[in-house]
Amino acid sequence: MTTAPDGFAPGDRVRTRAVDPAGHTRLPRYARGAVGVLVERAGRHPLADDRARGLTGPARSVWHVRFAAADLFGEGDHTVTVELWEDYLTRIEEQR
Amino acid sequence: MSGDHGSSRISAQVRHVETLLESRGLLAAGEVDGRIDEFLAGGTPANGARIVARAWADPGFAERLLADANTAIREVGLSMAGGLQEQRLKVVANTAETHNVVVCTLCSCYPIALLGPSPSWYKSEAYRSRVVRDPRGVLTEFGLELPAGTAIAVWDASAESRYLVLPRRPEGAASLTEAELAGLVTRKGLIGTAAV
Amino acid sequence: MSRINDVGGMAGFPAIVEEPDEPPFHADWEAHVLALNGALIKRGVYNLDEFRDAQERLPVQQYLGASYYERWFAAISTLLVEKGVATADELAVDDHGA
Repeated sequence: MTTAPDGFAPGDRVRTRAVDPAGHTRLPRYARGAVGVLVERAGRHPLADDRARGLTGPARSVWHVRFAAADLFGEGDHTVTVELWEDYLTRIEEQR
Repeated sequence: MSGDHGSSRISAQVRHVETLLESRGLLAAGEVDGRIDEFLAGGTPANGARIVARAWADPGFAERLLADANTAIREVGLSMAGGLQEQRLKVVANTAETHNVVVCTLCSCYPIALLGPSPSWYKSEAYRSRVVRDPRGVLTEFGLELPAGTAIAVWDASAESRYLVLPRRPEGAASLTEAELAGLVTRKGLIGTAAV
Repeated sequence: MSRINDVGGMAGFPAIVEEPDEPPFHADWEAHVLALNGALIKRGVYNLDEFRDAQERLPVQQYLGASYYERWFAAISTLLVEKGVATADELAVDDHGA
């Protein structure tokens, strides 16, 4: 895994990784390649994807990321807040 | 306990593996029984009910609970340190505008050390697959009809935090003691598939 | 590749069934599997993420056909072999000798 990106803040708009990894991950399929908003930092932990392969990496931020259901499923008026490692996220700079 | 052939077969397999691990020094004699006793004496939904009742009775506690649940629950003698390691507890509060409901779509993450084992329906693919997509429909099946104007927030426990829903205090519960308030709270209320 | 555990938003599962007054475990062996897993993780034989990964790698038909704690036991058995703790033959129990 690459070095974790820095400088995320609540309110940032992010896009989740779209790739379908070969191994264990904690980015659910339904939330891949989607745009959401950072709600709150949920601590710092080594990446689960690495730990599942017996690797120990540095702790990095985990975020509550809120999505509109319509952006995930094309329908629904609810929100879904998923807890995601910053490695899964890219900030959408031009939207700020 | 079930005594059918499938159950007795896997029961024998588990015993066999335990014996093997004991012989290899990876399991101490009595360790499994000790862990089971510890587990059964640990978490219970009553812990969640106590937290909720205190939050209803004390707005200051509710505020601290929503800001930092791990610290706040020590005020009622509870902690999140009972499992393999201390886990972060995230409490989400229902309001007149928003109802919260918790799921783990990837496995079955749940605050076991605090609340005990989760119900089977929480672990089922049926619940995990549908509640993120159609929470209103799922809640209706649980008998919870929310007003059309109430927003629904689904929380997917996909990483390290564990979640607890703080239900809204029922109308007409003003004269109840904290213990009586705790008696109103159900496990489903703590997950978000019931109002309280 | 997407794995069978990753079910959020999938169609086709049966109705949600609630079990009134559900006990913590439905058989003694389920409690033993839970305790065994905790002991092995605490000893560092494997970690929690490796345990989840081992469940996710079960063949799809086996995963969906197994109960919750049957999956756990299958994952524990997989990891004990992969970590070199025991061979599959050693883990297997003779049906008639059980």
